[in-house]
Amino acid sequence: MNRLKKINLLAKQAWVNTIHRRGTKGLILLVNLLLFFSLTVGYLNLSQHQNLVHGFGGEVRDKWENSPDKHPHRMAHYGYLVFREKFPLAFFDFGMDSYLGNVIFLEAHKQNTVNFSEANLSNGLLRFGEISAGMILQVLIPLLVFFWGFDLISRDREQGTLKILFAQGVQGPELIWGRALGLYLLNLSTVVLPFILGFILLFLHGEQDLLGQSVAHYLIMVLGYLVYFLVLCLVAVWVSGVSKSSKAALTTLIGCWLLFTLLIPKVSQVIGQTWYPTPSKIEFDSSVEQELILHGDSHNPNDPHYAALKDSLLRVHGVDSVQQLPFNYSGFVMREGERLSTETYLSHQRALVELFKQQQKIIRNAAWIDPFLAIKNLSMGMSGTDYDMYLHFQDQAEAYRYLLAQTMNELQIDLIGNRIKNSSDPSAQLSKEYWEKFPDFHQAFLPTAAVIKNQFYSILILALWLTLFSCLVWAFSNRIKAF
Amino acid sequence: MIYLIVKNFFRSKAHGIGLVLLLIAGLISLEIGSRFLKKTEQVSVKTAQYQQESILRNVSYFDKEMGTLMYYLKFGLENKVPNLAALSIGQRDIFPTVQSVTVRNLEEQRFSTDLTNPLYQLLGNMDFSFVLIYFFPLVIISFGFNLISEEKEGGTWSLVRSQAGSPMSFLRYKMGIRVISVLAVLLVLLLVAKFYLNIPMNQHFLAFILVSVCYVLFWFALTWLVVSFQKNSSTNAQTLLICWVFLNLILPAGINVFQRWLFPIPEAMTTVIQNREGYHAQWDKPKEPTLEKFYARYPQYASFVHPKELDFSWLWYFAMQQLGDEEAASEVTELKSKLRQRLDLSKKVSWLIPTVHTQLTLNSVGLSDQGNYLNYLTALEEFHEELKHYFFPKIFQDSPVREEEWSKFTLRVFQDEYAVSWLKTLAPFVIFMLAFLLWATTNFKTARLN
Amino acid sequence: MIEAKQLSKSYGGQIALQALDMNIKEGEIFALLGQNGAGKTTTINCFLGFVEPTSGEALIHGVSVSNNPLESKQYLAYIPETVMLYPNLSGIENLAFFSSLAGQNYSEEKLKGFLSKSGLQESAQKQRVGGYSKGMRQKVGIAIALAKKAKALFLDEPTSGLDPKASNEFSEILKELSGEGTAILMATHDIFRAKEVAHRIGIMKEGQLVSELNAVDISANELEMLYLKTI
Repeated sequence: MNRLKKINLLAKQAWVNTIHRRGTKGLILLVNLLLFFSLTVGYLNLSQHQNLVHGFGGEVRDKWENSPDKHPHRMAHYGYLVFREKFPLAFFDFGMDSYLGNVIFLEAHKQNTVNFSEANLSNGLLRFGEISAGMILQVLIPLLVFFWGFDLISRDREQGTLKILFAQGVQGPELIWGRALGLYLLNLSTVVLPFILGFILLFLHGEQDLLGQSVAHYLIMVLGYLVYFLVLCLVAVWVSGVSKSSKAALTTLIGCWLLFTLLIPKVSQVIGQTWYPTPSKIEFDSSVEQELILHGDSHNPNDPHYAALKDSLLRVHGVDSVQQLPFNYSGFVMREGERLSTETYLSHQRALVELFKQQQKIIRNAAWIDPFLAIKNLSMGMSGTDYDMYLHFQDQAEAYRYLLAQTMNELQIDLIGNRIKNSSDPSAQLSKEYWEKFPDFHQAFLPTAAVIKNQFYSILILALWLTLFSCLVWAFSNRIKAF
Repeated sequence: MIYLIVKNFFRSKAHGIGLVLLLIAGLISLEIGSRFLKKTEQVSVKTAQYQQESILRNVSYFDKEMGTLMYYLKFGLENKVPNLAALSIGQRDIFPTVQSVTVRNLEEQRFSTDLTNPLYQLLGNMDFSFVLIYFFPLVIISFGFNLISEEKEGGTWSLVRSQAGSPMSFLRYKMGIRVISVLAVLLVLLLVAKFYLNIPMNQHFLAFILVSVCYVLFWFALTWLVVSFQKNSSTNAQTLLICWVFLNLILPAGINVFQRWLFPIPEAMTTVIQNREGYHAQWDKPKEPTLEKFYARYPQYASFVHPKELDFSWLWYFAMQQLGDEEAASEVTELKSKLRQRLDLSKKVSWLIPTVHTQLTLNSVGLSDQGNYLNYLTALEEFHEELKHYFFPKIFQDSPVREEEWSKFTLRVFQDEYAVSWLKTLAPFVIFMLAFLLWATTNFKTARLN
Repeated sequence: MIEAKQLSKSYGGQIALQALDMNIKEGEIFALLGQNGAGKTTTINCFLGFVEPTSGEALIHGVSVSNNPLESKQYLAYIPETVMLYPNLSGIENLAFFSSLAGQNYSEEKLKGFLSKSGLQESAQKQRVGGYSKGMRQKVGIAIALAKKAKALFLDEPTSGLDPKASNEFSEILKELSGEGTAILMATHDIFRAKEVAHRIGIMKEGQLVSELNAVDISANELEMLYLKTI
């Protein structure tokens, strides 16, 4: 009788025994339905969002291209609206999506915030969490696994069958692995069909250009979940084995669940906020403003801060007034101003992002002791609903804003005369062809390699947890007392 | 007998540990609340200070023309955080406490967000309401689930039944000591909160206390009901935990998805589009219609005219800005009404789900819910109107910048009001508790326990 | 078949078993009497390998339990005081599960045969064990031992809580087993049952086997007198 066969038998028995228990089939069905429901709703929400965003994006583009002839700086202020698109897998795990802004107004001189997150539009209910497939898999499934698994060994001890099992030649590791695999089987019965549905939904998604990437992400994510579940099953059975009674095992496991899903995340959040306090918006704005004011006002061609620039330009071109320069002087000044203000802003923005990353590092480090955080990070990362993906969007939006402002400045420098008085002067207006030439905004998503690099730690942590518990099972299984 | 029941209760290590854990979690949450208060206090102090500095800096820099200066100047309106909000932070970490606006169009400014780490928002705060809503029930369940079954499984039940005339009074005492010990921890925490967080004793705090107590009693009533079926310990524990999961995780999250689906808000995006078109398109249009619309909205400024020979005047500029707001007005109204509808729906549904009801009520009395934010949005509109009416005449007639007494523009504070409707606040709890108690009594009667 | 050599076990300073010597041959039934805590269960646990002896050796079919735990288990079967089994499985399913764990693969007919042989009526065999009486569960336990073709059988208070009829049936089955060559060690409080079933009887006190005698040499009443005197 080899080991594998015994493990197989024990697994099958745990499965049969639990499945025959009253309510088990109902629970499996319920979880399947919940997952189907949340996948479908998530998918519909995603499609709706994408349609909306594409519709509005098209509208914005149309209006941009059909803007009448006008001064390019007017166009720079007319600006662009950019709507955040979601990664095709966002339906699977909402992650922090609901807390991220969806629309940003891009204009010259000014970096606006990305506004209208779902959280801005929600009431206190949001704080109970959102039902997404990710949430069910991360939070509810562990609870279910612990419910099914808490007595898988302790009950055998209580009803005396453990002695017979040992007398029949079963050994500790076989017992734990066998029962854990049986539990795993139960666990899989709740998730396999939904995983398949999720996979199918990927192919139904309208934008097929990301199909390859999203399939790759999906497979990695599913693999991550499978490892997470196996860890949970091992934990449950192990605790059941070393606890004095079924009641003690259940209490320990529920305690673990509370610790992992509620306490550690919240406490590490508090620690993060204490160690790395976020500056208030007003502080941030004020320090940017303070620095900007030193650079002078680029809107004002007579600004003293630009006097030196003016003098050197006049000297180089051998003329004695800006009107005689071969290019549009105020455009030139604004280009310089835009460069300076963007640099200033970006340096502050980078510091802020760095601070946020430090805060998130605390959460990432907490994941070493909390596999829930590890799978949460991995799942968000793969679904494209994490902070890195958002930052990528923000960076693109800012780069596009800068491109827009500077393109308009270049047009002004090259094509607008120096002697016109203001922007409504007909001779200062450019034809709308120029607007059409300016490319539309196309949001790109982080490539898979970058996502994996960001999530390297989550994957490592999950792998370590699995290794650790596999070792624990071998090392401590002789501690399982038969009585 | 009571003395012995009490002694037996406290001799069990698990009970002591449960109560101490609650106390510790509660105290941590109070500390978190106090940090939150300090932070918001800091924000308002700093904003006041930065506002002064910024005004003075801009005044010294753009002192030639009122219009240019007012293009830049920002004035803040603080959404006053009551100390009670520290116990139920609610949406306060999502909506900014202070919003600073210029007299330009409001729509571009009022929805700008605070600097926040979305991961932290996602994980949420461990405030007192969280400890109350999530942790208290777990301790209550662990205290009560085996009220009868532990006696049965330990073999003492038949002894109790044969000794006591009616086991009901024994059970009531047993439950009573659990209720009292948990309530005592709750009240100690609230008392500590009162002094540590310096919470004024008003109807809001009173409502907060009553709702907390009712919430705890609700869970005891539910436990009592489950126990009355006299199933074994593990069935009871599982039933109660399933209730907990449904009431705290699945149902609220489900309602959230439902209301989002019922009231989608594309207006959030169309508002932005409309506003941008409303304002920026005016630059390329004839000036007269723009001004006409402005005069129609504000007849009092009809005496100011745009000099025909000029291509730009601040009157025309702010008239354009005003049009931006007006174009977006209907979308904004729609947006706000949908937010109200979402809020109303969840308040209605919350009658059926005590956890949600508790959270929403605690947020309401702590002025940290969406209702408060909507009121603040309206207040911000009024504040913006007021600023416009103060500065528009000065801009249009180009009053000298230096003549204005700038130091008087300190940070304005908006103090929200919330009138507690006692019936709506407490009735759901009372109904549930009565129903549970009645049902339990019938169960006990059928089992001939009394 | 079942052999103890100077078998000792102590927990901390507490002696549970002291230099026990015992040899039960094929087909022999040995009953262990003694007060609660006299060391009966510890003795059985040593043979089953649940307890590691402090010194001495437990052998089954000449195989040392400590050195070859897996091999020694091939020869033995065990029925604990309360066999709860898996309530959601039927009697036959329970039997199939346990015997396949021990490496045997029986057809359903064979399994039924074992159950019938141990006295479980056919109508009950396919019912869930959750509804079984204690006697019926004991019978499934016997069937497990039968199916394993165990050379050594260990029983811990097998008849406690059984009604006289069930108890009697049980004794008959044990006798049958011993007739087929199984060595049986049973710990019991039931002096009369012990006298009736066992070939040899040992009385334990404070971890020691204080007296050992042949069942045929003594009547039940004399045995009771001896028991009361010894302990």
